[in-house]
Amino acid sequence: MGGHDSEDVGFQHRIDGSLNCPSSGMSMNPLPEKVSRTATSSVSMFKPSNGADPFFGSGWDPIVSLSQNDNFGGPSGVSHGEFPNPPYPVAMENQGMSSTSHLVQYPSDSSYVGMVPKLPQCFGSGSFSEMVGSFGLSECGQIANPGCPPNYNPNREGVTERTSTIGAQSHDDRQISEEGALGSSPNGKRRKRVSKSNSAFSPNKNADGELNKDMSGESSDYLKEQDEKKAKTEENAAANLRGKQMGKQTKENSQSGDPKDSYIHIRARRGQATNSHSLAERVRREKISERMRLLQELVPGCNKITGKAVMLDEIINYVQSLQQQVEFLSMKLATVNPELNIDIERILSKDILNSRSGSGAIFGFSPGIGSSHPYPPGMFPGNLPSMPTSAPQFPSLPQNVLDNELQGLFHMGFDSSSAIDNMGQNAGRLKPEL
Amino acid sequence: MYRPMNSPNPNSLKSRFTKGFVKALIRINKNHPRSASSSISSSPREIRRRYHKIKTASYASMACAVGRRRAWSRALLWKIRNQACNGGVVRRSIGSRSHYSMKKRVEQNKVNELRKVVPGGEGMDTWSLLEETAHYMKCLTTQVKVMRTIVEIHSTTT
Repeated sequence: MGGHDSEDVGFQHRIDGSLNCPSSGMSMNPLPEKVSRTATSSVSMFKPSNGADPFFGSGWDPIVSLSQNDNFGGPSGVSHGEFPNPPYPVAMENQGMSSTSHLVQYPSDSSYVGMVPKLPQCFGSGSFSEMVGSFGLSECGQIANPGCPPNYNPNREGVTERTSTIGAQSHDDRQISEEGALGSSPNGKRRKRVSKSNSAFSPNKNADGELNKDMSGESSDYLKEQDEKKAKTEENAAANLRGKQMGKQTKENSQSGDPKDSYIHIRARRGQATNSHSLAERVRREKISERMRLLQELVPGCNKITGKAVMLDEIINYVQSLQQQVEFLSMKLATVNPELNIDIERILSKDILNSRSGSGAIFGFSPGIGSSHPYPPGMFPGNLPSMPTSAPQFPSLPQNVLDNELQGLFHMGFDSSSAIDNMGQNAGRLKPEL
Repeated sequence: MYRPMNSPNPNSLKSRFTKGFVKALIRINKNHPRSASSSISSSPREIRRRYHKIKTASYASMACAVGRRRAWSRALLWKIRNQACNGGVVRRSIGSRSHYSMKKRVEQNKVNELRKVVPGGEGMDTWSLLEETAHYMKCLTTQVKVMRTIVEIHSTTT
């Protein structure tokens, strides 16, 4: 568990780092944006005063995340203090008026659990509800619900009969309102964050620009509707109260629970806006892109490539070319005089003499076997055509025979591995040089 | 320490591979004793057989030099031992998830392609696949280097 904790913390730092430097690979580019957005929403959730300011909101998020990390060990954090019930409607007003982003408005919207039937009307254009419908099903439905039902069950009794995706979305957000108003129990925190992440970043992920456009177009409508909604905050407060009681129960339960809960708590805490699934996915992507960077260093001429697919292509090509070289060289060895005594020391020492840059860098791309074969190490397509540079050293007549045989073998298409067609090409490419 | 400065580290992967490979080469040559002239002009069938043996030996000695701590070398050794070098082995396939976007699907196809290239890659997740690919690539580079040196030595002595 300790190992997990430390790993989590380390990951948190990495996430924070990736917030600041969005150049962490192509596939990672959506991620910092996502994090910052969700973090922004969390800022406005937790700190109404900050949330009112759109610029501070995004600027503060690493700090907030860190401070929340710190708070997280103790049962009474800053966010707890800021989450008593009375300030919450204020927070919602701030979010609604400031309209820093749709994400900020979003939680306040959906916290009106009492008016869930009216929600589609609130979003006048309907595009948002459509998107919620489409993505709520695919993303939230898949990611959030499998992860969450065990947690949701206690609080969900009144809402479970609703089956529409908007209903499901508002379930999540009802969690936000209830748990957010409390901000008390570790489990509640986790739930809150999980549900918030679903509501926040699933539209983000899928229809980012679209959603922004829609919401900016709607913002004026939205402000009007916000007034109507304010009138209903009393109803909502009642719902919050009910949720508060529930949350207290869960708080008591979780605090009396074993330390496993705190581990779960940590994970959710530091994720800032993810459920366990997307959190794991993020860790996985992070690790994969790290490996990709390592591979990028290994494959010559791969430094400038940024696309993941292109890089994978290059890697595949390079490995295949290496395998073809092995095949080609074994073919050569098969045709040369087998009676030779092979001196291991000589091979190794010759190799060392030639590659000069040292036996330490066994794996390094030292400039070739021999200084007499200066194939460009930077371009791997150059490796194959340059291979027959050793060929002229064979006696001329046997070389011709050998090459004819090689060609014949290639064209016979004998079994061998899948790369034999490439070998054929290769031989064709070599032909003009011989 | 007990060697001259320019001699290789006897425990390096390269020396281990070279020793194993050279031993295998000698064994292959012993099994097919032939005079120098006849070997060159031997039938394509002979050469093909020798080529396969040498290729397998080179891969096997590299896998042996790496040892069992790597997934790709384990897979390679297993394949060679079962003489299933050219496929026909039932493996667990990793199903692709349906909600991938187009870009991700392209990437996933590439990753699956890479799985076929790296031995034992079929049963790996993407992260370990990339890790194994990196190591496999390094070892292949060493292998190619050593083999090329051997070819060179051959070509200079004949």
